Amino acid sequence: MGKKELKVAFLLALRSLQRGSRSSTILTVLIIGMCFTNMIFLPSMFSGIGQGITKQIVDYETSNVLVSPKTGEQYITDLGTTLDLINGMPGVQRASPQYSKGATFKYRQRVLGVSVRAISPSDEMEVSPVYTKMVAGSYLGEGDTGEIIIGKPLAGDATVRQEDEFEPSLGGVRVGDSITVEYGNGYTKDYRVKGIYYTGWSPVDSAAFVTWTDMEQVEGKTLDQADSITVKAKPGYSEQFIKNELLAYGVGENGKVQTMTDLLSKSIGKVLQSFAIINMVSLVVSVIITTVVLFIVITIKTLSSRKQIGILKAIGVDKEVIMHNYGFQVMILGVLGIILGIIITLLLAAYMFIHPIVTPEWSAYLYITPWDIVTNSVILFCAAVVAGYVPAYQVSREDIQSAMRA
Amino acid sequence: MIEINDLQRIYHMGTVEVRALDGITLTIEKGEFLGIMGASGSGKTTLLHMVGLLDLPTSGRITIDGLDVLRLTDYEKTMFRLYKLGYVFQDYALVPDLTVMENVALPAMLRKDRSEEQVKKDSFSILQKIGLYDRRDHLPRELSGGQQQRVSIARAMVNKPDILFADEPCANLDSENSKMVLDLFHEINEEMKQTIIMVSHEDWHKDYFHRIVRLRDGKIASDEKNLSAG
Repeated sequence: MGKKELKVAFLLALRSLQRGSRSSTILTVLIIGMCFTNMIFLPSMFSGIGQGITKQIVDYETSNVLVSPKTGEQYITDLGTTLDLINGMPGVQRASPQYSKGATFKYRQRVLGVSVRAISPSDEMEVSPVYTKMVAGSYLGEGDTGEIIIGKPLAGDATVRQEDEFEPSLGGVRVGDSITVEYGNGYTKDYRVKGIYYTGWSPVDSAAFVTWTDMEQVEGKTLDQADSITVKAKPGYSEQFIKNELLAYGVGENGKVQTMTDLLSKSIGKVLQSFAIINMVSLVVSVIITTVVLFIVITIKTLSSRKQIGILKAIGVDKEVIMHNYGFQVMILGVLGIILGIIITLLLAAYMFIHPIVTPEWSAYLYITPWDIVTNSVILFCAAVVAGYVPAYQVSREDIQSAMRA
Repeated sequence: MIEINDLQRIYHMGTVEVRALDGITLTIEKGEFLGIMGASGSGKTTLLHMVGLLDLPTSGRITIDGLDVLRLTDYEKTMFRLYKLGYVFQDYALVPDLTVMENVALPAMLRKDRSEEQVKKDSFSILQKIGLYDRRDHLPRELSGGQQQRVSIARAMVNKPDILFADEPCANLDSENSKMVLDLFHEINEEMKQTIIMVSHEDWHKDYFHRIVRLRDGKIASDEKNLSAG
């Protein structure tokens, strides 16, 4: 197959698309574009959900490395020494301890069980972005006592009746209001609501934060123990490096050291696996639909042009030229369809970036990488070429007489 | 020179055997304008398709300038048709999506011995000859039947083939356009000493032929020179 033959095949293909049925061309491009969108939309949505959940877990629960109580123990002990050790290690930006205690919140007629988390605000601000998510009031200060910040869903909305609430709330707490908190140990205290935050991560939004100093008053002692220590790595340091450092410095003797990846593979690994299976099914279905559609389109084109194919062969056009003519047509349709698909997908991604899907548990947007676009484009293009060449190959081998009689 | 020896073409339609060609032996000299005539079903188009390498005979031999063309491979036959033969069909058989110019240039574009410039020059020249140069950018559907057939002749002639085959080229034309097409064939034959083999059932066409072979039931019924041709 020489350059001249390919040139003629391309000319025939181009002219057929330019001067043939425009509606058929537009419809075919549209179908390929929608198939491409379908191929990339669902996996990107799942990736977005996965990325969103991962980011929220890292931001609000684990940071890069989490130190938790050893198996069988309730707390990480010898907290002061452990924190000094961790904060002095190379690559650690900051370690922030948390101490949780169950409590009953009372506000007007509402009574609700809530987990109160004690934090050191200055440390917590370095590992968690909750302080950037304040929707009313302000974040806790280091020496605050008698002040509390609560999640927006927990604060509730005064305009929504209790029976209509999606999840139980305090029915419309506002900044400056007083909440009575009755801890599990019987200690009761009135807190002024200093701020209300909303992160979109349900476990945090349904909790409340007080300062470490405040919790020491609740417990009636100096707290040298914690439920967890979240450790933020400095830029350029891997979480595995930090974990290894922590273990090397003996932090493992006081608590269990796990990277974010260790934790995620346990917590949402199965979810991500399920997403991967759904993605694969979606991809295969889209590829099959595209292949079948293009196969039908090209088959119809070849069958309705059998006589013309016979004439072309009669005047000395080689069957390879005829086959490549349809091959080029399907390639052009494929490329146009993929470009349309990319445009639709990017528009959807932009829309969903501005208006993400928000649920009480997570929020999601389309997570698309250039690699996703390239791989899906290549897969779809190959499927289109196969779908086009099979009928083209068959019809180009028909003998001249049968073709001309069609 | 074309030599046809004992050419047979038998079709099987169920249990019935149809002898479309039944032992045709014929020699066609270079530069001849040969008319193949006969009633419908006499085998004229079948004979044209066999000699034009568009179909295979059941048996027999065809040599063109000493080459046993039936022994050529499929690809060699395609190239032989491209380089040596030209075709004009009853229904013009132009590619509807190509312009007049593109239709004419198509066979020349595939020839390895023609540059792009040469293809353009040859196509322009033949379009001027048939009087359709001004309509070179039109699509076939924008032309009359007579004009389309002239484009079809131009396409057949652009590669300057050794033999031109015409299968009832005037069947869809009125008498004025038919005369125009036949005059064009005559001109080509006279000026270029072009071998032309034309199938026709119109009796008045015989005036243009140098020689008339009449077929009946797949056999040659008569083979006579037409001394008053042209």
